[in-house]
Amino acid sequence: MDLALSEEQEMLWKSARDFLASKVPKTLVRQMEEDEKGYVPELWKEMADLGWIGLPFPEQLGGGGFKFLDLVILLEEMGRACLPGPFLSTVVLGGMPVVEFGTEEQKKAIIPKLCKGELIMTMALTEPSARYEAKAVQVEAKAEGDHYIINGTKLFVNDANVADKIIVVARTAKKQHPEEGITLFLVDRKAPGVKIHLLKTIAGDKQCEVTFEKVKVAKADILGKADHGWAIVKKVMEWAALAKSAEMQGGAQQVLEMTIQYGKDRVQFDRPIGSFQILQHYMADMSIDVDSARVSLHKAAWMLSEGIPCRKEVAVIKGWLDEAYRRVTAQSHQIHGAIGFTKDHDLELYFRRAKAAELYFGDADFQREIVAQELGM
Amino acid sequence: MDFRFTPDEQAFLKEVQTFIDQLLPKDWMGVDPDGHNEQADEKLHQFDLEVRKKLAAKGWLGLQWPKQYGGQETTMVKRFMLEQELIYRGVPYWAISAALMTGDMILQFGTEEQKQKFVPPIAHGEVQWCVGMSEPDAGSDLANLKLRATEDGDFFVLNGQKTWQTGAYYADWSIVYARTDASPNVKKQKGISTFLVDLKSPGITMRRIPQMTGHPAFAEIFYDNVRVPKANMLGVLNGGWSVCLFGVATEKSFGYWLINSGRRDLELLIKYCRETKDHEGKLICEDPLVRSRLAQLAIELEVGRNLGIRLNWMATKGMTIIAPACQLKPFGGGILQRLGNLGVQVLGLYGPLDEESKWVRLRGRMKYLYLGAVAMTIEGGTNEASRNTVASLGLGLPRQ
Repeated sequence: MDLALSEEQEMLWKSARDFLASKVPKTLVRQMEEDEKGYVPELWKEMADLGWIGLPFPEQLGGGGFKFLDLVILLEEMGRACLPGPFLSTVVLGGMPVVEFGTEEQKKAIIPKLCKGELIMTMALTEPSARYEAKAVQVEAKAEGDHYIINGTKLFVNDANVADKIIVVARTAKKQHPEEGITLFLVDRKAPGVKIHLLKTIAGDKQCEVTFEKVKVAKADILGKADHGWAIVKKVMEWAALAKSAEMQGGAQQVLEMTIQYGKDRVQFDRPIGSFQILQHYMADMSIDVDSARVSLHKAAWMLSEGIPCRKEVAVIKGWLDEAYRRVTAQSHQIHGAIGFTKDHDLELYFRRAKAAELYFGDADFQREIVAQELGM
Repeated sequence: MDFRFTPDEQAFLKEVQTFIDQLLPKDWMGVDPDGHNEQADEKLHQFDLEVRKKLAAKGWLGLQWPKQYGGQETTMVKRFMLEQELIYRGVPYWAISAALMTGDMILQFGTEEQKQKFVPPIAHGEVQWCVGMSEPDAGSDLANLKLRATEDGDFFVLNGQKTWQTGAYYADWSIVYARTDASPNVKKQKGISTFLVDLKSPGITMRRIPQMTGHPAFAEIFYDNVRVPKANMLGVLNGGWSVCLFGVATEKSFGYWLINSGRRDLELLIKYCRETKDHEGKLICEDPLVRSRLAQLAIELEVGRNLGIRLNWMATKGMTIIAPACQLKPFGGGILQRLGNLGVQVLGLYGPLDEESKWVRLRGRMKYLYLGAVAMTIEGGTNEASRNTVASLGLGLPRQ
């Protein structure tokens, strides 16, 4: 057993920390919340040059050949920095399913460009029902000769406003079991009939309504097998929940550290407020939330990297952080007092992100149901 | 990063699991790791003695101790593995662990003579130890202890009282922290010494204290001119506080024990919910509210278990673990209290029934846990004392 980061992981972690600290000040984070695109193309290119976007992809496709655990370490730092932009969407929702389930042609056409920062991706899964379930997939794709025609509305699609390619989850057949008859399509955002409408959220991220009006997609652009797409979605949901957990972990870690520092610096009643026992106990509890999450996150990511089934472990960490991250940010607000809930302070950025992150890729109820199933209930 | 045990460790774990399978009676409900049921019931105590002898026969008491004192000179990893597996299965282990802790302390602070005299009998499973810390006016404020030890030739003479002492009734020997310097200008912590006391010594009387579970696991012990040879002082005169801190530090797996014990109780409860139908003929585990609450406890136990894995790993790497251990302790205790609470609730009106009732379910285990778990956020350092330690040692927060 060895729970330490490897030398390579230490380097990745440190360089990510330094890079993001210098390139992503909170002024930029706030600016991007208001920005139509929500990311800085030059910064995106730099991240590609650092090898971050291609990190988990095979070297022969232009990637770094790293493991999911390494990606998690990077995502923790991105969450700490509140990095704006379509990183998780491009890498986890887009690139990873292509590498895992795509044809050779699809991989070659997409992944090298993606690694170079020249292609942004996302997945359009949820619809107005707002559920991450197979039966919620109602958008239809009908076969017509060499093509399919997609009609319907996808909602809460991350970063579709800037994505070049969207993996669209659509219903291609009505079968008895809702998990059957679902197909995934690689669709150009600029294809005729695709319309994007940006939604404003609590987190200042870029969620979109994407409507498809008679959008024509070639059969060659199916990802995986027709009618058998839900298995891919299940995998992507697992990766995405874990990746989101990593961002949440980084955010929670940053909030804890900020709070401890504030407890040491802020003087009231002629003493640092961190010397008051009740605040010490709040912070001790926050540290329990954060430290227990980190090792659980790494365990799940390690299992995924080693190919060990980890459906339960992923649900455990996401389900835990869904509540722990929110708890930590809320407690931090109580300790920071009035300044914490002003726009002059960074804390509110995390409080808002924590709530949105809780809901993305399955909230705590959703994760608890998975855990219940895994325990044979 | 690698969360796996080595093949050698895995083989050891397998051996331990087989040993426990053969040891435990069928449908064993398990005892709690704080010894409160094991040390209060004659039948359980007898089983405890049997376990102790079998563990000794395996050579598993004092696994990492030097061979000359009866140990095996294996790694700490194996001791942790053995411990956690025994706790998870609910094998009576508290008294054994108290003896092992004593052995650790004697190996650290004892004279050569003390090591030779006291450690091998522990490794051979021949002796039961307990620890005398709390007094009526010294609970969390342990340094306020008043039990007096005064020098008299080759002896110290002990006068005073210990209380809430777990397992004393069945124990042969006790570690006793006593005041050897009561000068008002000396800091309380600097006037304490540690003694190894034979509980059969003249002048010792004991009263068992029943707990709200109905079990008398505690005792108060009165010392009336009890003569203890100077050779039985552990560590230096007035150096008892560091001995005590070391002892407390070796107990630092306790939070992880609570987590592993909770895993067994949750499995028991889930099994019940999977097999039992409600009044409408539906399995209890299909009730979405029950499902969700059981899953939430499973999440907490899993996350806590990961924290425990990290704690033990840090300990084997020689890292300081006092603050991380103090994180795990309140976490584990809290989970067990919620588990006992949910357990009784899930059983409905059967939940509060006494274990003797013919209608009782799960042999009253959930009712016992509901009552017994109250102790778990208090014993071995209250939640509040633990959080103080996390705040000061772990987070570096100022005292003033």
